[in-house]
This record gives sequence, structure tokens and C-alpha cells, in this order.
Amino acid sequence: MPTPVRRLLVPVALLALAAWWLSRPQPLPASALPAHTASVVNGERLFHSGGCASCHGSVTGDGIDGRQLGGGLAMETPAGTFHVPNISPHPADGIGAWSDLDFVNAMRRGLSPEGRHYYPAFPYTSYARARTEDLLDLKAYMDTLPAVEGVAPPHALKPPFNWRRPIGFWKRLYLDEAPVHPGPSDEAERELGRYLVEGLGHCGECHTPRNVALAMDTTRWLMGAPLPAGEGNAPDISGGPDGIAGWSVSELVDYLETGVDPDYDIVGGEMVAVQENMAKLSPEDRRAIAVYLKSVSSE
Amino acid sequence: MKHGLIIALTGSLAFSIAALANPGDPIEQRQELMKNTREALKPLMGMRKGEIPFDAATVGDSLATFADAAEHFGALFPEGSETGHDTEAKSTIWSDRAGFDEKLEDFGTTVAAVQASSPGSLDELNASLKDILGTCKGCHDGYRVDKD
Repeated sequence: MPTPVRRLLVPVALLALAAWWLSRPQPLPASALPAHTASVVNGERLFHSGGCASCHGSVTGDGIDGRQLGGGLAMETPAGTFHVPNISPHPADGIGAWSDLDFVNAMRRGLSPEGRHYYPAFPYTSYARARTEDLLDLKAYMDTLPAVEGVAPPHALKPPFNWRRPIGFWKRLYLDEAPVHPGPSDEAERELGRYLVEGLGHCGECHTPRNVALAMDTTRWLMGAPLPAGEGNAPDISGGPDGIAGWSVSELVDYLETGVDPDYDIVGGEMVAVQENMAKLSPEDRRAIAVYLKSVSSE
Repeated sequence: MKHGLIIALTGSLAFSIAALANPGDPIEQRQELMKNTREALKPLMGMRKGEIPFDAATVGDSLATFADAAEHFGALFPEGSETGHDTEAKSTIWSDRAGFDEKLEDFGTTVAAVQASSPGSLDELNASLKDILGTCKGCHDGYRVDKD
């Protein structure tokens, strides 16, 4: 072996080792689980706030079935096609065999029970902001839904996206549990809205532009972005002049409840499923969401 | 009933005149028709919120406008009208015409059923409104693209 190559061997090996270590999965330990009596009612509310069924509902002839979480939807993205998995309580085909810790690690750390990185097409970048107690409630509700048979085909991704390990680096840069727009601590209603929008609601995943690494650009939070698949835009829903500055809180609440905007235009596209989930929340939750959105501006 | 019929006839007439005045532009025509349905929805939403009192005649007028739109809308998406005038029509209208027609028919049959039941109270209106809005969304879901 020529000397220059031999001289490089050790640094290259060290770099590879460092890269392996830096990109390693970092699950939460069992001690991160609080003692908690799960509430199925709160879990159902959070299930709707997150629109879980919009992606994971079984694809039937009539569209998506909101209680059968068999998955199967094909999501076209710039990285390739993701096939949405079965998250029904089926013990083999779904997630029925998962422990509470497995579920919390999937939602907050983007990790499978075997410790593999999930692709952020599953929006754990938002779900990471959810409280662990709420996630346990969510799981308790999902456990009450029917077990559905069937496994989705593997994702069909283009290289280099078919390699999962580098997602570990990406997470180091972009997986952040901190609030994007924290408000004054005494504004409980705004804080509730922030928690729902930035967390399980994962509104930013479509409404925030992405940077070169395909992560949400939080400096342009909720300021609108082209839809990752298909035609059109997810509009600017920040409180700024190009967003919803012209909408009153009550107009926003009405829109989330009925799908009718202040111009009497009716919701379309991907937002239809989102709005119909928002309609299942309490009036207080909808109002909190509106108050938070109005408060978001780019400064 | 007579009132509703006159409104429907006037609506169709107004529509026909608009069509004659602008024979070559289905995009403008369908946008105009959509604008009429939004205008007709306005008083119904006002009643729902309690901003204006329930009025059966106004409800009848709005339903007639919806029925008129449901009847004429389908013909306004011919081949060649896919782009222009900032249209928010999605390409799926042409790639899945049968699906689009089915959604449009849902709207028409729902409106006709509500017309037949003629809502006599705010509660009845609210229930019907939910059904009608559901069919609007049913079509906007897959066949309309948001460009704002």
C-alpha cells in the first residue's frame, strides 16, 4: 500500500467512527415515562388535532376511513414515494405490540422500536413538542380502534434518500423540542394554541417553507410554501400582512369549524381533511389556535 | 314555491345572458357562477351566526342559486380550459372527469333534497347547510387547487 494512502487510513477511520457516533439513534430512556393514568377522551381530541387518520387511515373506495388505521396511502415527494404504514393496534401488521416507550420514541425522537431512524415525512419534527402524558393519552385512544390487517409496501426512495443513517445528522440540526414562537407565560389561551399548532397539529409542516436540507425554515414560520406533492400552495397563515392579518379571530374560528372563509369561499385540497378534523375539536381549542396564529409574525 | 321558481328562472336567464355575452370563455363563466354561489351563501352563514334573522324566502333564493350552479357548472370545464385567468381548477378535473362529475352531482342532489324539504327553522337550515358545505368540500378536496 502506498504511504499517502496508509497515512490517511487512521484519520478516515476516525472520521467514519465519529460520523457513526454522531448519527446514532438517541431514544428516550424508560425513566422518561411519567406515572400517568391515560385519558382516552383527551387522546381522541389529540388524535383529531394531529389529523392522524388523514395520512394513516385505510384507503378505501370512498376515500380515507378515519377509524381504520391500516395505512397504504402513497405520498409522492421530491425524495421518492413513501407508503404510509399501518398504525392500527394489530399486533403483527400494526403497532399493537408496541410499548408506551416505543410509541413515545416514535413520536418524539423519530425512532422505530428497533431503534432505526424514521424519515421526517412522518412529522416527528413537530410531534417532538408534544407532552409525554398527551402521547400516552393518544396511544390509549388509538388502542381502542379496530386492528386492521395488511402491511404497506416499502418506501420507494431515490438515492441517497434510501439510506437512513444520515437522518441522525439531520436530526441533530433540525429536531428541536423548543417552542418556535413562545409567548408570554401568562397568556394561557395563546399557549394552548401554540401547543396545538406547533406540536401535534403540525401545521408548520405544510405552511412553513423548507430550506435546502428540506427542514422547516423557522425564520419564515407559517408564511406559506408550495405543497410538497401536486399543485398549489399551502398559504401564509401567519399573522403578517400576507397571511391572516385581515381575518378576525372569530372569522378564523368559523373557518376552522365550517370551512367557509371570510369571502364565503370554501376550503379545498389537503386542507379539507385538516379543517374537518379541526371541526371535531372544542370551540376553546379552535379559538386558541386562532389566537396563536394571529400572534405569529416575522418581527 | 312560485317565488323560488321565478328566482330560478331569472337565475338561468341571467346565466344565459352572461353566456351569450361571453361565449368563448368558460373560465370566466364558471368563475362568475362560483361568485354567485358565494354571494348566495353569505346570508345563510349570517343566519347561522345569528347576525341576521332566519328568513325562509331568502333561504329559498340561495338554494335556487345553488341549484342553478349545480346544473350549469359541469358544461363549463371543456377541454382547452385548463389554464388561464388564474383558474384554480385542478388538472384532475380532466384526468378524472367521471369522479368530478360525480362530486358535482352530489352537490346537485343534496341541494335538490334541501329544496324539497324547504328548511323552516334555523336548526333545519344549519343541518342542511352542513350537508351542502360537505358536498362543496367533497369536490374542492380533489378538483380544486389553492393558489393564494
